[in-house]
Amino acid sequence: MKWQRKDILAIEDMSVDEIQQILHTAKVMKEILMRPIKKLPTLKGKSVVNLFYEASTRTRTSFEMAGKVLGADTTSIAVAQSSVSKGESLLDTAKTIQAMRADLVIIRHPSSGSAKFLADILKAGVINAGDGQHEHPTQALLDIFTMQERLGDLEGKKVVIVGDVLHSRVARSNAWCLQKMGVDVTFVGPPTLVPVELEGLGVKLTHNLDDALPGADIVMALRLQLERQKSGLFPSLREYSHLYGLTVDRLKKTGKQSIVLHPGPMNRGVEISDDVADSVDALIERQVTNGVAIRMALIYLLIGGSSNVVA
Amino acid sequence: MWWLKDVWVIDPSQKISSPQNVLVQGGQVMEISPSLTEEEVLAKAQGESVETINGKGKFLFPGLIDVHTHLREPGQEDKEDILSGSRAAVRGGITAIMAMANTVPVIDNRSLVEFVRLQGERANYARVYPIGTVTKGMQGVELVEMADMKEGGAVAFSDDGKNIQNAEMMRLALEYAKLTGLPIISHCEDKELSGEGLMRRGIPSTRMGLRGIPASAESVIVARDLLLVEETKGKLHLAHISTKESVELIRRAKARGVDVTAEVNPHHLIFCDEEITITNTDLKVNPPLGMPADREALIEGLRDGTLDIIATDHAPHTQAEKARPFAEAPFGIASLETALSAVWQHLVVPRRLSLDRVIEAWSYAPAKRFGLRGGTLKPGAPADMVLFDPDFAEIIEPATLVSKARNTPFLGKTLQGFPVMVWVNGRLVQRNRTVL
Repeated sequence: MKWQRKDILAIEDMSVDEIQQILHTAKVMKEILMRPIKKLPTLKGKSVVNLFYEASTRTRTSFEMAGKVLGADTTSIAVAQSSVSKGESLLDTAKTIQAMRADLVIIRHPSSGSAKFLADILKAGVINAGDGQHEHPTQALLDIFTMQERLGDLEGKKVVIVGDVLHSRVARSNAWCLQKMGVDVTFVGPPTLVPVELEGLGVKLTHNLDDALPGADIVMALRLQLERQKSGLFPSLREYSHLYGLTVDRLKKTGKQSIVLHPGPMNRGVEISDDVADSVDALIERQVTNGVAIRMALIYLLIGGSSNVVA
Repeated sequence: MWWLKDVWVIDPSQKISSPQNVLVQGGQVMEISPSLTEEEVLAKAQGESVETINGKGKFLFPGLIDVHTHLREPGQEDKEDILSGSRAAVRGGITAIMAMANTVPVIDNRSLVEFVRLQGERANYARVYPIGTVTKGMQGVELVEMADMKEGGAVAFSDDGKNIQNAEMMRLALEYAKLTGLPIISHCEDKELSGEGLMRRGIPSTRMGLRGIPASAESVIVARDLLLVEETKGKLHLAHISTKESVELIRRAKARGVDVTAEVNPHHLIFCDEEITITNTDLKVNPPLGMPADREALIEGLRDGTLDIIATDHAPHTQAEKARPFAEAPFGIASLETALSAVWQHLVVPRRLSLDRVIEAWSYAPAKRFGLRGGTLKPGAPADMVLFDPDFAEIIEPATLVSKARNTPFLGKTLQGFPVMVWVNGRLVQRNRTVL
């Protein structure tokens, strides 16, 4: 199938075929990534710009490495030092990047919809590396790639996503992506962080983790933004951890050898205990490796043109 | 003298909705009569030349009075000014506007009230009536000199955009304003509940990850202000009602005889939250678009009189301000030029509202509530009038808009049903969609 899209903005409007094609491509990319000499000439002469308006270590580095392995020239615009801090609008920044003839722009931005906003302006491709509380499509794709590596076909599997779902773009992208793959998704968290409106995503909602766990094949803990406590959304880390923290004992309630994912960075002892985070069933580091492979696949699909890495 | 011949006149103040002949002379409506012969007209003209307009197939009604308009002058003339706004008004069939007080600086003393009034007179298109703030600097701490500002021409008081959060301050304002007989206009927004919200809280907001504003952000203040006005026996006008809960609260208060009026904006009658997309900042408005059930309740409320007044809440912004990610764009829809046509096409044509009710709520009711001239075609009344052609269609384009703003959800779309002639005080100010 020939790739059609200019941009990767949201999982919500992607087809299953497109997702499968990305996952298939990522498999090849992972083999390349695992080689001792991991460098291809495929994207020689192509430029990829990282435009990050939010602090990020792993996602930005992951995109940079992905671009470099494929031979592209990657540039990061550190927003704090650029003209953005002088008040330049995203529209003008976009025009500037356009004028520099970038081939692909990776954007992370605190406003929902900013990636689409950029993509509507630019001739170059855009990959959404997280827009506000809307979507984080590459995270969902790498999560599903990781699940498939361990569990094979995901049809009919059960995933529990626990934590601050309301503010989580990771949870939204995962909910869309998993359901398209035939997975049963349950969101768990306190009513302030898992409000009833989330039913609009088609998932099940519950406020009781112990009720949700039986039968779960995959449990995903979300990072708790500690400043939410000050906004009154939960009373204390102690109570949060007591109700929603993943512990070895609690995970036994799934009744099977479930795998554990976390988008990172973790608050150890809050949403996930040390012994869970470091257990063989926690695939958190594998998620990071797969993240590079997924991003290689996306960069390749968007600007690889007629080159033929994936036979 | 003008002779509008065989035109369908709608004048709720006289309960007229029928084909009539209308004579206008010396800036005033002279006569309305089902039949007039040319000889009779010439006799009445007493030698003055008569301009005859064949009104067949068209409507004539009192010019609209818009009680909620942001003209941005002084201070934000890049968005709009009193001249451009009052020209936009007459292009849209609005012959009088109440200018909201949240300019820079805010209209919190008599000299600023007089400035706005005089700028309106200099512009000389729609009549411009200033609204003063309720509190100095809109800080919610000290009342303005309401009596003095009324002398300067203020017709109401409002801290619009900055709701009076302190209930005691609101109570005092309702008490003190009794000195003037003018209403306090409440913006109806609990700022703690609305917080950093961007659109109505619901499934669409949650799906898009756009922070939500709960319906209660409006209705808790509506409930509070209804209790306060009942207790003080003051005079309250509720701006831009957008939730079904508010409609029900107002309905019950009116049944108890509370002195309250309420307004609704065309965009809340036409659009709802499901239509917002993540990059469409032209539908980003405060209060936010409600759910379909809210829209139904608003239409029902307007029909049964719970909601008294239609007002645009014309909120012009520059293109650069709206060309931003959703969270960073300002709230507001520019609507002076499109509102009447949109209401016609989306509500009157599908028979959700009668044109008679629309005209009552947009001209007669505002005139009564705020003590303004116009809103009627009774003989002797100022000839503020609109000739409306239900067949006239127009594409809404930047080139034809006379407002400085372009932030309308109708941009690029075709609307049908427009004012084709507009008079203020008997002077023709718009003809065939061109402001004269």
